[in-house]
Amino acid sequence: MEQKYLRDFEARCTQEEPPACRSMCPLHVEAREFACLMAVERLDEARKILERSMPLAGLAAFLCPGHCREHCRRSEVDAGVNLPMLERACLLYTRSTKPMPMPASGKTAAVAGGGFSSLCLAYELGKKGFRVNLYHQQDIAAAFAALPPRTFPERSLGEALEQLAALRVSFEQVKDFSPDRIASLRGEKILYLGLDDPDLDPAAFGLAGPGDPLTLESPVPGLFAGGAGLSFIQAAAAGKRAAGSIVRFLQGVAPSSAREGEDIYPTKLITDLSAVAPLPPPDPADPLVPTREEAKAEAARCIPCDCLLCVKKCAYLSHYESYPKRYGREFYNTLALKFGNRRSNIQIISCALCGLCGVVCPNGADMGSFCLEARREMAQSRHMPVSAHEFALEDMAYSNSAEVAFYRPQPGRKRCRTAFFPGCRLPSSLPEQTGRLYTFLTEHLDGGVGLFYRCCGAPARWSGRERLTAANAAGLREIWEEAGGPELILACPSCALFFASELADIPVKSLWEILPGLPLPKQARPLKQSLALHDPCAARARPDLIRAVRDLAGALGQETEELPLGRDLTRCCGYGGLASAVNPELGAEIALSRARDTDKDLLCWCIMCRDSLSAVGKGALHFLDLLFPAGDEARVRPAPGISLRQERALAFRREMLQNIWNEKPDEEGDLDPINIEMDAEVAERLERRRILLSDLKRVLLYAGEKGGQFYNPQTGRTLSSLRPKQVTFWVEYSPRADGVFVVHNAYCHRMLVPGTPGEGLPTAAVLEGFDPRGGRA
Amino acid sequence: MKAEAGEIRAEGWTCASCGSPLELLPADIAYMGSSFQVELPRCRKCGFTLIPQDLAEGKMLEVEKLLEDK
Ligand code: SF4
Ligand code: SF4
Ligand code: SF4
Ligand SMILES: [Zn+2]
Repeated sequence: MEQKYLRDFEARCTQEEPPACRSMCPLHVEAREFACLMAVERLDEARKILERSMPLAGLAAFLCPGHCREHCRRSEVDAGVNLPMLERACLLYTRSTKPMPMPASGKTAAVAGGGFSSLCLAYELGKKGFRVNLYHQQDIAAAFAALPPRTFPERSLGEALEQLAALRVSFEQVKDFSPDRIASLRGEKILYLGLDDPDLDPAAFGLAGPGDPLTLESPVPGLFAGGAGLSFIQAAAAGKRAAGSIVRFLQGVAPSSAREGEDIYPTKLITDLSAVAPLPPPDPADPLVPTREEAKAEAARCIPCDCLLCVKKCAYLSHYESYPKRYGREFYNTLALKFGNRRSNIQIISCALCGLCGVVCPNGADMGSFCLEARREMAQSRHMPVSAHEFALEDMAYSNSAEVAFYRPQPGRKRCRTAFFPGCRLPSSLPEQTGRLYTFLTEHLDGGVGLFYRCCGAPARWSGRERLTAANAAGLREIWEEAGGPELILACPSCALFFASELADIPVKSLWEILPGLPLPKQARPLKQSLALHDPCAARARPDLIRAVRDLAGALGQETEELPLGRDLTRCCGYGGLASAVNPELGAEIALSRARDTDKDLLCWCIMCRDSLSAVGKGALHFLDLLFPAGDEARVRPAPGISLRQERALAFRREMLQNIWNEKPDEEGDLDPINIEMDAEVAERLERRRILLSDLKRVLLYAGEKGGQFYNPQTGRTLSSLRPKQVTFWVEYSPRADGVFVVHNAYCHRMLVPGTPGEGLPTAAVLEGFDPRGGRA
Repeated sequence: MKAEAGEIRAEGWTCASCGSPLELLPADIAYMGSSFQVELPRCRKCGFTLIPQDLAEGKMLEVEKLLEDK
């Protein structure tokens, strides 16, 4: 992945930007973290946060006028968080800690002036191992004594001076800054003039005024000046920045280099205030001495500012407990790895690619596009975990095999103006209704309607395999061209997305834009109950279809209601992007979080949505259940498992060819004579393990011919394995006298074990370093 | 992959071909270009190796995933 791609993505996500209180604080105190700790009464840790960015915090915090307050985002709701009050409370109820100086570096600096900027500069340099000599004319304590009474507790100043002494700062009180004194100070390699001390006159030091407002550099190398006309906290910040300039200067680096973010600046952090309720501030009896309770109540008013708009709406993003900017970086690092554990692999392939995040994010950061890009690179560089998509891609290959896929023009025609393309899932979930829909279309559309049954190839695209995607698209195009290039009527919104990206020149229409223009099927009937309309994520950017299905519901007389996150903000069912195929637990989490958006049953227009939501126990229907009711209680019809879907796909083809085209049924496959019996619990287990009936039958066919491998004389059961592909299947069974195999258990693994029969891969080849990743597209 | 003998449970199974009891014998198993030698219940004569369910879905799966993320 190009670094620029990552940078562009990172730049969109604002989650790591500081909150306004911090960006607008002259010292950039981590006020949000501080307030959060204060709210849970962890005062010692809160103090550490203060001390991290605030020099001489035990004094400085008492002197802060609260520059952040008017910028605090809570001020848009009621009143900004009173951070000065929180800081006072924190300092009143905790003890000061000794600063830890670095070992003496041998560097020295002279400071003229006893103002707060000078003290803070001395503090910062002292911590860095400097020896600082500070010259002042007035008594320092006397200058602070001129402040209003009770500004800071008496002990604070003493503690501050002790801290400075501990940092090897020496104070020298001079009678005045005489020309001799000035001359000797100007001879120092490093000199800081703290102009917040009224006894200092820059002109006497040969300067026209203060130095640069950010770096405090003067035109004279090694001479820094500033600090005048500022609040105490601004002066502290000036001293701190001057210290940074001095360090750079001595390293031979321009003092102005790498100073981004040191001045105050408005933050880019996005914070949604719509759910922030007013919370009146406490009214301290003595504002100068807030109680712990008052401080706690004030701290609880911190929102705290955060974006996470996308994370709050996406179960995938919240599952991994972080946010897009961080994920992007982690994914990038995984992609760049040459050796070692590729930590983010599974996370990259677990995103549903639903695009909600990109719509929700005010800057359009789309994690889905990022994940797809990352998947392409994983596939390209052969770092895609082999087993992750294998099953889904085999299922796709099955749908596109000669056994299942077909195209037929409408009977009686050679070429058709249009062809219905139901997608792979609709016929395998609702075969009979799909058939009725096809007939309905042939009755109402002019020019003939062909039937084109196969998978569009979306799973290949979702899995990041570009070659496989292109090969599938080419296969589809070939059949379409042979059919005379009919306009395709797509039932599935994911197919529509796929055609738009991979087969953009094939003319397509959505079934959902056609149906509202046709009369209602005779059998169509609404349900009495109101249904919540669930839009598929693939139709997020199709307002025309979103409107059309509402028109269709209206025409049906079906009462519907909108979900809070519907239309372009709709949430995924978990099937998208092969999320549930790769990561079934997370897929179910995504589906459940959607299911919980309403108590109502859902009305879907993508069959995968319907089946995925139904699989987590949600009452859900497909529009075909209303247009062509099958007489069952559709809302609770179980979603078909994998084996059943594949069986139904075959049956759909057989029935359609037989009933509509009068074709003889296909020959029986070799596996058909194998009869299996198992109880429901075993069947369910197989479904979870994605073991197909056809897999079992293959093992049993082989074992029947060659004899089983293991026998248990106590139970009378046989255990046999076969490796028909890159998976070894084990079946534990008892053959019955009537020829039926009673299956007790089955499981599988991918490791190659000696003595396993099958065409999978011979052991020797694997041991010779065969890379199964090369074996597949 | 380390598999201690005690973990692998294949009690009761015998080789269906020759009727011999299974013994814990070294076997070379392989995945994604890596191979390991582990002790597994096997028939000494016929060479079949039994992988019990808890091994297939436990340790073995773990190692498979690890190797896939390499
Ligand atoms: S919506 Fe998500 S991606 Fe966008 S700024 Fe917020 S946290 Fe970052
Ligand atoms: S609400 Fe909290 S985090 Fe947000 S600006 Fe105010 S103090 Fe800072
Ligand atoms: S699942 Fe959808 S909303 Fe969540 S990260 Fe992926 S594309 Fe974005
Ligand atoms: Zn044997």
